[in-house]
Amino acid sequence: MNILLCCAAGMSTSLLVTKMEKAAEEMGVDARIWAVSADEVKQNLDHADVLLVGPQIRYKLPQLKKEAEMKGVPVDMINPSDYGMVNGKKVLEHALRMKK
Amino acid sequence: MKAFANLLESHLMTFAGRIAEQKHLQAVRDGLILAMPLLIIGSIFLILGNLPIPGYNEWMTGLFGREWSTKLQYPVGATFDIMALIASFGIAYRLAEKYKVDPLAAAAISVASFLLATPYETMFTPPGAKEAIEVGGVIPTALMGSKGLFVAMLLALLSTEIYRMIIQKNIVIKLPDSVPPAVSRSFVALIPAFAVLTVVWLLRIGIENTSFESVHNIVAQLLSGPLNALGGSLFGILIAVLVQQMLWSTGIHGASLVGAVMGPTWLTLLDQNRIAFQAGQEPPNVVTSEFVEILINTGGSGATLALVVLMLFRARSQQAKNLGKLSIGAGIFNINEPVLFGMPIVMNPMMIVPFILAPVAMVLVSYFAMSTGLVAKSVGANLPWTTPILVSGFLMTGGKISGAVLQLVNFFVALAIYYPFFRIWDKQKLKEEEGVMTEHEGASGKTVNL
Repeated sequence: MNILLCCAAGMSTSLLVTKMEKAAEEMGVDARIWAVSADEVKQNLDHADVLLVGPQIRYKLPQLKKEAEMKGVPVDMINPSDYGMVNGKKVLEHALRMKK
Repeated sequence: MKAFANLLESHLMTFAGRIAEQKHLQAVRDGLILAMPLLIIGSIFLILGNLPIPGYNEWMTGLFGREWSTKLQYPVGATFDIMALIASFGIAYRLAEKYKVDPLAAAAISVASFLLATPYETMFTPPGAKEAIEVGGVIPTALMGSKGLFVAMLLALLSTEIYRMIIQKNIVIKLPDSVPPAVSRSFVALIPAFAVLTVVWLLRIGIENTSFESVHNIVAQLLSGPLNALGGSLFGILIAVLVQQMLWSTGIHGASLVGAVMGPTWLTLLDQNRIAFQAGQEPPNVVTSEFVEILINTGGSGATLALVVLMLFRARSQQAKNLGKLSIGAGIFNINEPVLFGMPIVMNPMMIVPFILAPVAMVLVSYFAMSTGLVAKSVGANLPWTTPILVSGFLMTGGKISGAVLQLVNFFVALAIYYPFFRIWDKQKLKEEEGVMTEHEGASGKTVNL
């Protein structure tokens, strides 16, 4: 399972990556999780199974959706309160649901 | 209230989406990013060459000889002085990428057209002479740096537009299939490059016959001059910060959108300071890109570091304590999404008030502290926006304590503004938590699990 996260600079999503990795370990999920800036999404899509977008750049969602759907990668916005509380488990579960 | 919030949000979203998707604006922002690592490296050498520490000069002279300072300026020149050249390449590259035409060819053509618009002459005063003479056969470094930034931007956009239109209309030299693709690709750019350079050439010749003399003069007088004056004014910076905060209040990344519009102006103002500082003069501009990033957005947009510190030391509710612990690490490096979405400040009518007031107050304090000379201005060093408080203030002023002191003052201004609102919020959370505790006898229904 490859989970790609993105926000403006890939900084705050990288906080979430650490927490999600920890949650994945606890849940026994084999996942590769990484964060990039919105501009780098395109180059990273080939290796991603799902794309999660930070709520602060949700205005980019339509554009990112178009790019990702061409490659068959499901896209969604991260729930703002899970994002704020850096709730790795919830976001990971969200990603797992998207894959199905 | 909810309907109003929805209305506001949908309008802002369209606005933000338009700015973010505007191809040329995006290309300018992304193209300028290409120069950023270079400017940061240049800044390190700039600061190292000019540390105002007593005895530093003598110590360095003892170690490296009398010319040490001049030699430290080499990398400064090689980075700051080619800002426009790099931008010319980067902007065209990013724009061509968006149009899905060969970005490398577009970037190369853009650099050529930027140089074509630039007179290969500079004024030079020979040693011992009184008057400067004009020297030909040189590329003037002044115009390759921030002074040429707007010309580079405009020509990168213009040349790439012409290039992609011709490519998309398929007016290219086609070679038979038997020719290797690498060879035929280099022929594809021929007609569009010829068209671009002819247009820029005619432009230059035309302008040479007017009193403006060069493209650079026209842009300086009609565009970059007025833009810099406006963007560098107190009014301009207040509007920029207000827009940034209002966008963030609805959860939209305001700093990134405002930066996309203001970036070139603020960068030019920053570099004017650098040039003055290197020449041993007083930096002219209060407002630069660093003014916003280092002095105002302390802990992230809205100066939330103060708020996080309040949570850490003054919170009584579990939620505030947890959020404080969660946010402080990132907050030190000016990342504050956890506070913005976790507290939340976003779409929270009460917290939006200090979230807008604090940075506005800090802009006023900083502007007056710098314009009256109380605090040293930015010396033009371009620091990463993740540089922590105090260190960043010290470095942006070229190693003056006053920069760090101003940050500290700003921090307490923000603290005072956030405090009453923080108290109300904290109390409310405490009440909720106690309510939950008595209802469910300790079940942590509403407390947050981290």
